[in-house]
Amino acid sequence: MSSKASITVLRAREEVERLWRDSKYRSDSIEKADAAVRFVDAPGDRGTEIHVDVQKSAPGGKLGEAVQKVLGTEPLAKVKDDLRRFKQLVETGVIVRSEGVPEGELLERKRGQRAAQPLEPSELNEVGV
Amino acid sequence: MRANVWSGRNQVQVENVSDPKILNDRDAIVKISSTAICGSDLHLYDGYVPKMKRGDILGHEFMGEIVETGKRVSNLQVGDRVVVPFPIACGDCWACKHELYSVCENTNPNSGLAEKFFGHATAGIFGYSHLTGGYAGGQAEYARVPFADVGPIKVEDDLTDEQVLFLSDIFPTGYFGADLCDIRGGEVIAVFGAGAVGQFAIASAVMMGAERVIAIDQYDYRLQMALNKARATDIIDFAKDPDIVEQLKELTGGRGPDAVIDAVGMEAAHGHGAIHAIDRAKQATRSESDRPHALRDAILACRPGGIVSVIGVYGGLMDKFPSGAFMNKGLQLRAGQCHVQKYLKPLYDHIKNGDIDPSFVVTHRLELGMAPDGFETFKHKQDECVKVVLKP
Repeated sequence: MSSKASITVLRAREEVERLWRDSKYRSDSIEKADAAVRFVDAPGDRGTEIHVDVQKSAPGGKLGEAVQKVLGTEPLAKVKDDLRRFKQLVETGVIVRSEGVPEGELLERKRGQRAAQPLEPSELNEVGV
Repeated sequence: MRANVWSGRNQVQVENVSDPKILNDRDAIVKISSTAICGSDLHLYDGYVPKMKRGDILGHEFMGEIVETGKRVSNLQVGDRVVVPFPIACGDCWACKHELYSVCENTNPNSGLAEKFFGHATAGIFGYSHLTGGYAGGQAEYARVPFADVGPIKVEDDLTDEQVLFLSDIFPTGYFGADLCDIRGGEVIAVFGAGAVGQFAIASAVMMGAERVIAIDQYDYRLQMALNKARATDIIDFAKDPDIVEQLKELTGGRGPDAVIDAVGMEAAHGHGAIHAIDRAKQATRSESDRPHALRDAILACRPGGIVSVIGVYGGLMDKFPSGAFMNKGLQLRAGQCHVQKYLKPLYDHIKNGDIDPSFVVTHRLELGMAPDGFETFKHKQDECVKVVLKP
């Protein structure tokens, strides 16, 4: 299975690198995974590609096996969630939420979706609204 | 509030559910004044679209009044009357910047799921399975509209709900189907399916300057609507003669239509013979999800070098795609869920200027509580049904 994930964000590389370090935007799972992250100018006017490899560790960081421990069996899916959330936040300013997935893109929800109907008032806090 | 929810194959019911709430700053809440049942809702009803869940609120064609706005929605005020496009688009990603709103990169929070089915995630759609995001739909008294600063169009003129409601989907979708055909004047366009989307594809092809537009269906009342309201020039009733390809050649001096629009999609009814029997059996056992007669015939009928435009909804995989005809005739296959946001303003102006009155497709008007009856009537084409409008 691949250990790599990537996404393209419609912003210049300098801005993407700056926001990546900003605590408001930073990805928890990728930071915990201590994975290697590369930023590459996308061709044309398409912004910046972010490439993450969870088997390689960041320079001076932990090893790949540690990644599996921290993140369980599906570290890559978690990393993908975080990449999508990062892209959403940077491009749209919000985390995209549906009634079926009120927390926003979330690995755990792929197994158990809510029905697509409005949340009960008591659920709002749970999902971070 | 009351809402029409999916509760299994061939089952919908109107239930009491919580009222929608703002979930982020770019949301708005709409109090729905009119909503409709779409032909593509029948694919959900019939159980051919994966990733539905019991309790999902259906409906992606709706309009109404803004009753609440999130902090970052500055273009709309409480009290504004709006029509809401069915694809949810952020307006900020590369796709949206290129007016490819139905493939918005950000609005499907189930993109991990969608990638497994389609390779990539496409835009979120109201009330249209968890594959397109798991959004609550608009066959209800209220709906939450994400990215309300991008999608909805304000209705500020003296137009009725039924004149503007179909800007939400079927009028732009039909128009998009015709737009994909590169009509410059003088063409022959064939339209498979004279349901509501087909009617608007026909009317749009005529508006764009096609010289002849051929409507294809098996229900005479729909073909009469195509002739009398959408201004088709010719009709093919395949209930009378199932060989559509041969009839299209006959009508075009052997050339075939310059472009063919598939406004049918995955539940085509017209296949015949052994191949049809195989497709029916495979679809019934879920080993082939899409029933491909319309698309196969569109490819076989289209003139060499022509365009096949697919706006009927497909959801999965099909067998026996006529790749030989497609390749050797040098066809272009174009498709998509309509990029509604791109067409809203120009089509609104067409309605305002009196070029078209989309309300001609409405055959049934029901109270929201009658939605289950509306689905049955529409599914079985009872009572000459073309379009059902629901009033909450």
